[in-house]
Amino acid sequence: MAAGVAAWLPFARAAAIGWMPVASTPMPIPPQDKRKAQDGLIILNVSGTKFQTWRTTLERYPDTLLGSTERDFFFHEETSEYFFDRDPDIFRHILNFYRTGKLHYPRQECISAYDEELAFFGIIPEIIGDCCYEEYKDRRRENAERLQDDEEMDMNNDVTPVNLTFREYLWRAFENPHTSTLALVFYYVTGFFIAISVMANVVETVPCGTLPNRSKEMSCGDRYALAFFCLDTACVMIFTVEYLLRLIAAPSRCKFMKSVMSVIDVVAIMPYYIGLVMTDNDQVSGAFVTLRVFRVFRIFKFSRHSAGLRILGYTLKSCASELGFLLFSLTMAIIIFATVMFYAEKGSTATKFTSIPAAFWYTIVTMTTLGYGDMVPKTIVGKVFGSICSLSGVLVIALPVPVIVSNFSRIYHQSQRAEKRRAQRKTRLARIRAAKIRGTNAYMRYKQNGLLIDALEEVAGQALVGKAASPPFESQHHHLLHCLEKTTNHEFVDEQTFQANCMEISVVNKSGSRTSSLSSSPHGLSSCCSRRHRKKSSFSLPSTNNQELSTIQIRERPVSNSRSSLNAKLDKTMPLKCDEAYISPSMVRLSAPVATSSDDTSTATTTYSQSNIVRVSAL
Amino acid sequence: TVFVVWLVNTRGRQRAPSDSDLELSTVRHQPEGLDQLQAQTKFTRKELQSLYRGFKNECPSGLVDEETFKSIYSQFFPQGDASTYAHFLFNAFDIDRNGSIRFEDFVIGLSVLLRGSVTEKLNWAFNLYDINKDGYITKEEMLAIMKSIYDMMGRYTYPCVRDDAPSEHVDKFFQKMDKNRDGVVTIEEFIETCQKDENIMNSMQLFENVI
Repeated sequence: MAAGVAAWLPFARAAAIGWMPVASTPMPIPPQDKRKAQDGLIILNVSGTKFQTWRTTLERYPDTLLGSTERDFFFHEETSEYFFDRDPDIFRHILNFYRTGKLHYPRQECISAYDEELAFFGIIPEIIGDCCYEEYKDRRRENAERLQDDEEMDMNNDVTPVNLTFREYLWRAFENPHTSTLALVFYYVTGFFIAISVMANVVETVPCGTLPNRSKEMSCGDRYALAFFCLDTACVMIFTVEYLLRLIAAPSRCKFMKSVMSVIDVVAIMPYYIGLVMTDNDQVSGAFVTLRVFRVFRIFKFSRHSAGLRILGYTLKSCASELGFLLFSLTMAIIIFATVMFYAEKGSTATKFTSIPAAFWYTIVTMTTLGYGDMVPKTIVGKVFGSICSLSGVLVIALPVPVIVSNFSRIYHQSQRAEKRRAQRKTRLARIRAAKIRGTNAYMRYKQNGLLIDALEEVAGQALVGKAASPPFESQHHHLLHCLEKTTNHEFVDEQTFQANCMEISVVNKSGSRTSSLSSSPHGLSSCCSRRHRKKSSFSLPSTNNQELSTIQIRERPVSNSRSSLNAKLDKTMPLKCDEAYISPSMVRLSAPVATSSDDTSTATTTYSQSNIVRVSAL
Repeated sequence: TVFVVWLVNTRGRQRAPSDSDLELSTVRHQPEGLDQLQAQTKFTRKELQSLYRGFKNECPSGLVDEETFKSIYSQFFPQGDASTYAHFLFNAFDIDRNGSIRFEDFVIGLSVLLRGSVTEKLNWAFNLYDINKDGYITKEEMLAIMKSIYDMMGRYTYPCVRDDAPSEHVDKFFQKMDKNRDGVVTIEEFIETCQKDENIMNSMQLFENVI
């Protein structure tokens, strides 16, 4: 949690008054501010440069040097300021981190000096803000390579979820060949066969010399017909198998069949099958020959293997408007100039410009500056307009092309950056998740400590010496979360406990135990858990979890000096409730807070809470 | 000084509503003077200063819009989804319903919550629950509030939050509060019932010394 919003914690706590009228259970006691933090100014003298800030600003991050009591080691009595013998320029950024909650990396600083300062002041570099993070990481990597250190790049590999279905696994293997060696092998094999197939198609048509009893030259395809046919069959079989496997593995078959790559695959293998079907039929052999042309589309299958090709295709698609403009303007110019040339050359004898469509060929050849020379104007007017045509051709073509080129370059670099960002995003998510888990664990520890400490306080009658003083912000935040728990009468647990509980509840339901209306719908419980509980975790021993929790409470209860007989009654009833274990887990939970709050409130409260329990059990 | 105060006031008042179509980042709001706020709230000078410093740190423009408010409040409840409840809270603080909370609204609300009498606090809570501010809490309004509170708990709770837990809670609440069984809770029923409930009265005092 960003302690930058620590300033808003008092507001969030005040707003918690909104929960009070609907709370199911009494609220826990707020933590006492044992240290009345005076909000004074602190002077930090870093190698002569004086920085000043509020005390509370520094204490936002209590696990750093400046935010904890560690800074007392640097207190200089004579001048009553904190003196640090460090670099003041880098210290500026560190102090800004406390102020704004964002750590920035100054580009002109040396990366190792910066890292050293961060380490000294106890700040982890992972919290560098998004604006500077990429630069920081890049510089760090460069530095490591330069020093030829084996820096431990803990970019975690693909987290392989263990429980993908075979179908999902197959699809992932196809889409991302680097996930397993088998996928990689398959990837290279298909690439190889595509190349072989295309080469075979090409070589087929090369003239291969003559057979002794034939007069004309034969192509290799006719000479070694059987060999080529076998090769073709093998390739098509591989392609067919690949296509079918992709079809099976695709998460959405309709979407897959409509995708471009799938169409290319089908077009690549169709001619072969059609050819098989209609052999020895002279009438359709012409069509059959045409069909063989489509075999060249196999070369497009390479786009799966080459990112650059895909980007080219994507660029052309995204530049469709520019291409369209190019085509349109060219067509306009062609028609205009063809008309002009036709009428200009109409007069001359034996002219090739027999019609306007015939003049199209001349116009195109001239505008693209090809100039074959098979059609040339003979009249003067024709030559004049011919030169105008070639000049304008250069202009019309040269204009949209740079746009397309720049588009391609932009998209290409974008894809490179996207790859990098994707790799970093996984680390980010892992970090965020770890922070959440840390927060939850901290809260769990607070609760266990809190219950124990409050009980012991009652006995001692005074604050315990030497107990771990959690920083005021943390304890207040935990108290807030505790209030929310009391309002809704549910508890925060961490992921593992949650799944363990779900498992034991479903176990209980299977054994068909007696139900009470409080956990009124064990079906509801299990359905809610099973619906949300997608991962199948291993069975943990169900009994230990609950029992341990309840025994903790039991152990604490006798310690507290029971002032009222009600407490004693609770003690006796507790073991009973524990035997009924899983049926009324919420009832077990309810009894816990009653004990803590009854320590300080009047017996009237306890009667209410007691009646609360009674009412609940009557439900 | 009166002139200066008047200037500051008009500037503050002019900016906020007229710039509603501009981005919030171009809108600035300066709060009323320290003396005035001291008169309007029950905070001391030092408390107001420290409150403003924290407020201005998070919202340099001087105004909190709903999205910023939701993101700040959600940071305190990382396990669940606090955005719906934050929306209700925002409406409770944004007294003049202009879509943004100024420092004055913020501090006046806090003054009620932290230094107000129990009746004032109960009034504030009633205002929070009464979503359409018509003076009655209906079951639907209460259900929406309850769901948003349970949303803040998130997935990993013990015991598992059932789907009907909020509505059960709402039924219990109405059983307790709705004395004449007319399906709505009025402010009088609410205050009366809360004043009779020891637990609630005690919990109202809980956050006295938060600042």
